[in-house]
Amino acid sequence: MALRSVDLAVERGEIHGLVGANGAGKSTLVKILSGVLSPDAGVVEVAGRAVRLRSPAHARASGLAPVFQDPAFAPDLTVSENLRLTGTDQGGFRRRAGELGLDGVELGDPAGSLPLPLLRMLDLARVLAHDPALLLLDEITAALPADYADRVFAAIRQAREEGRSVLFISHRLLEVQEVCDRVTVLRDGRNVDTYRTTEGPEGFGEPQGGAPMRRGEQRIVAAMLGERAALAVTEPRLVARTSHVQPGEPALRVRGLSDGHRVRDVSLSLARGEVLGITGLEGQGQDELFAILAGDRRATDGEIVANGRRLVARHPHDAIRRGLTLVPSDRWQALLPQRSVRENLAIAHYNAPAGWGWINLDRERRQVAEAIGRLSIDTRAQAQARRLSGGNQQKVAIGRWLVGGFTTLLCFDPTRGIDVGTKHQIYDLFRELAAAGRSVLMFTSELREVPLACDRVLVLYDGRIVAELAATDADEATLLGAAHGLAEALTES
Amino acid sequence: MTQAAIKDEDAAPERGLLARVAAADRPTLALIGVLVALVVANGLIDRNFLSLSQLRNTLLVTAPLALLAGGQTLCMLTGGIDLSVAMTATAAAYVTGVQSADGPAVLAIAAGLLVGVVVGLVNGLAIGVFKVNPLIMTLGMSGILTGLLTVGSQTFLGGATRMSELVLELGGGTIVGPIPWNLVVWLLLGGALVVGLRRTGLGRLIYAVGDNRVACRLAGVRIWQVETAVYTLCALLAAVAGILIGGRSGSVDLQLAGSYLLPSVAAAVIGGTSILGGVGGYTGTILGAVILAVLDTMLNLLTVDEALKQVLYGCIILALSWAYARGTASA
Amino acid sequence: MATATATTRPLGPAAGRLARRHAWTGAVVTFFVLLLAWNASQTRNFGAFEIQTLLASTLPLAYLAMAQSVVVIGGGIDLSVGAMLVLVNCLSARFMEGTDLGGSLLVAAGCLAVAAALGALTGLVITVSRIPDIIVTLAASFVWGGAALFVLHTPGGGTSTGFQALVLGSGSAWWPALLCLLAPLLLVWAPLRRSRTGIAVFALGSDRNAAYLSGVDPLRTRVVAYAVDGLLCGLAGLATTAFTAGGSPQSTIAMNATLNSVAAIVLGGVALSGGVGGLIGPVFAVWCLYLIPNIMLGLGVDPSYGEVVKGVVVVLVVLAGGLLRARRNRAP
Repeated sequence: MALRSVDLAVERGEIHGLVGANGAGKSTLVKILSGVLSPDAGVVEVAGRAVRLRSPAHARASGLAPVFQDPAFAPDLTVSENLRLTGTDQGGFRRRAGELGLDGVELGDPAGSLPLPLLRMLDLARVLAHDPALLLLDEITAALPADYADRVFAAIRQAREEGRSVLFISHRLLEVQEVCDRVTVLRDGRNVDTYRTTEGPEGFGEPQGGAPMRRGEQRIVAAMLGERAALAVTEPRLVARTSHVQPGEPALRVRGLSDGHRVRDVSLSLARGEVLGITGLEGQGQDELFAILAGDRRATDGEIVANGRRLVARHPHDAIRRGLTLVPSDRWQALLPQRSVRENLAIAHYNAPAGWGWINLDRERRQVAEAIGRLSIDTRAQAQARRLSGGNQQKVAIGRWLVGGFTTLLCFDPTRGIDVGTKHQIYDLFRELAAAGRSVLMFTSELREVPLACDRVLVLYDGRIVAELAATDADEATLLGAAHGLAEALTES
Repeated sequence: MTQAAIKDEDAAPERGLLARVAAADRPTLALIGVLVALVVANGLIDRNFLSLSQLRNTLLVTAPLALLAGGQTLCMLTGGIDLSVAMTATAAAYVTGVQSADGPAVLAIAAGLLVGVVVGLVNGLAIGVFKVNPLIMTLGMSGILTGLLTVGSQTFLGGATRMSELVLELGGGTIVGPIPWNLVVWLLLGGALVVGLRRTGLGRLIYAVGDNRVACRLAGVRIWQVETAVYTLCALLAAVAGILIGGRSGSVDLQLAGSYLLPSVAAAVIGGTSILGGVGGYTGTILGAVILAVLDTMLNLLTVDEALKQVLYGCIILALSWAYARGTASA
Repeated sequence: MATATATTRPLGPAAGRLARRHAWTGAVVTFFVLLLAWNASQTRNFGAFEIQTLLASTLPLAYLAMAQSVVVIGGGIDLSVGAMLVLVNCLSARFMEGTDLGGSLLVAAGCLAVAAALGALTGLVITVSRIPDIIVTLAASFVWGGAALFVLHTPGGGTSTGFQALVLGSGSAWWPALLCLLAPLLLVWAPLRRSRTGIAVFALGSDRNAAYLSGVDPLRTRVVAYAVDGLLCGLAGLATTAFTAGGSPQSTIAMNATLNSVAAIVLGGVALSGGVGGLIGPVFAVWCLYLIPNIMLGLGVDPSYGEVVKGVVVVLVVLAGGLLRARRNRAP
């Protein structure tokens, strides 16, 4: 049961933020409000009238319009055919799309041929064209390029002017504070707090100068975690971190890597015992770069040298044999959902015919227990990995390589969509691995967390590395500027 | 949650054997219950059913079906299916029969098994490496084998197709009492399947590939290898089944194994293996095969119309699948 | 900043889109024309009679291919199409025996209604029970097959000659068969394709989740798709009755027919994963499959090898199709 008892009221013409740790019940609430799930108990009222939301079509008709992270477009159908499915008026759609700055969209193109961020914007345009009473935006800015995100905010504010309401769900507390009028915090399936994002006794109050985190975020995090944990977590680790970087042959050296598409010319060097961060806006080549390094994609040019030997990987297996292992960002790419935690953790042992024979159960049990202990994986729902919470699933994805062995861990956005507590556990693990002489190459879209985990950070822009900063110099403004390709930002640091 | 054959031993390693079986193998227990009920019903209908000779007859039919269904289980676990098992079995029987006329029995059997290996390799490579849809590939293979056998039975495979003594004994002979030789063959192979799926790396991979291919690839699994192995094993089991069927009937014709195709899928489905992959196991399939065989006998004893028999088959498959679907849904 | 990279369209936007969408169908049609020309060159006095034979003998399978297409486009599969054909065949042969054209047509209408209803029932069971469609239709094939045996214990029954002539033509009149083929295409499929329900069928096959979130009612859509499927299978059964002037409840007919229907749609450009394809490609594919053994016969090869060639052709085509799709997906 994901929701125990949630009371939520969104006023007309209000932007209402909804935050909570993983497993707090946000997704379930959205699914209920969009007609995908039906609640066991409770009442949903729209404009004072109780409604039973039996299906997405029904929810839409009642004025509740969600925009999910996966845009609801059938890829083989054209955009206009998709619009006919939802009964969207094409003229209204074009107008809204124009307002979002998407003028040149060809409606006769199959939806699957359009890039994902564009599709999500079109989804928003479609929803707006139906004049909804309440917009449900589920992590809409996750993996949207910054300029698209700005247009989304403008559209949200415009919707407010038009008297609509917005339920804005996000992990990015900064955004939530900036855009929302009020914020509700969910924890363990209940709403625990609701605030105004303005001054006054009910609100956040002014940001205190010099404080590492603004009061509002502290309050939100405190509510999300419960009082005890909040203090420990919201203070960033400014403890002097020892560098574990080892001299000598780097664990991974990349020179002039290109894939003929988004990766143009990437060169980097990852020392042993180092945690190296890469950051950048959506679509700068990071997905393809990590796929190449993991052996899932071919490079057309350049070379990869792992542990001193050149690596040409035709399959992830080749990269793994050289110690380059990937923890994907998408947990559904990493996990075997119906298999147990143990099988998920141990699979790397059997990935070659040499491992097809009799399983040594004792050795397996030992290694699995070790990984579970080290990562503090909550194994209560262990029979099927799909039952675990998001944070635990991510830990299992990482744990697989603790069991299987690796030299360099490639982590793509390991903390996306994960609650604060687990995030810090993962960052601590990375530092432990570095201390043990391993290396971590991490792509992260959370600019503020770069100093928490990395020794160095590289900025990827248009398929090239355009900046390199030590963690202590990597403040958000500099990183953001470099991520946009602004040379001035670099000279300021 | 009703999933046959997968026990998570981490759950409570100290629990007694009975408790573990009860917890993890709920559908298996239900199937055993159904089987017992059927056997009792049969015994009530016709006293002779429980006689040794009738028992032997039932087992004679079950063994080849269980082998075919076993291969089918492997394919279904990876999310595929093999519609060529019947023709592979027939082809293997043909080749064994022809070779028996010329040479020693063991070589003839080896030749038949080789047919299975070749067919399985072609299927597996096409499906694994060239990514042909399993339904289509095995369908095509079935057609190809049908064509080749039709032509061949008039030309290069024509003439004497008498099975050797060894094959006749294995296929139709009895070891002691009601226990036919083919049961022994089946038990050996079946036991290997059950144990192999649980305790070998390949077994784990078969389940893993059926569960999430992308994750397997990123974990370093070369999926084509697993698929090739699976379809080869399936065809090999089909070849054994074909030789056993041919041994029992003593002669070979094109319709030898045709009636076993749909029941091989049905047995796996009844046993709880999902056609979508990742769920199920051979233990359930064995029960499914035995249930089908006993049911068939019972319906014959009741001199039930062939028409009603067919309708009943369909309804049973539907009912059991519904039960499984609700089981996994509520899990 | 537009992150949408426009795909190059050398032919101009609309023409390029049209070409890509119908590329496969065009290829199959071309293949058919080539095979037809080849067969024609082998046969002396190739003319209306051969065309009539082609159309008449492939009519049942053509209907089955269309039926299977509708279901597969909607994201499912129907392993019971052959069994439904046999059932309707037996039903119509039993009740058409001794009737005149009017009586036959009445029986035909009744059979079509039954077939469509059974199809709708199948779609209902699939959606409500959440059992994979392969299993439900497998079970259904047993049930329909058994029912066929109820209706006709042994091959028998008959039909009116008027009915035969209406459906298949006679002598060298090939246009009745063609009309019968076109009728469901023009009267049922074309309007459905443009309607919201038709688009919903494609959507369901393309991405079930997106379809559901877009407000598609999976129950209604699937029931409609399988009802149309049932209707077309019913037509196939009626065509068989007309062709053989009788009914036969043999289950091997059912299975072969089903397998052939799957082969035909795959050749005809319908993706087994759903959401892609049409009904015209599979019909041409059926004609191609018919011509291959004929051509081999003309070349002096044992027609059984035709089965082998058909199997190989299907596998190769699927292979090529899969490779093409994979390359297109991998490309930026």
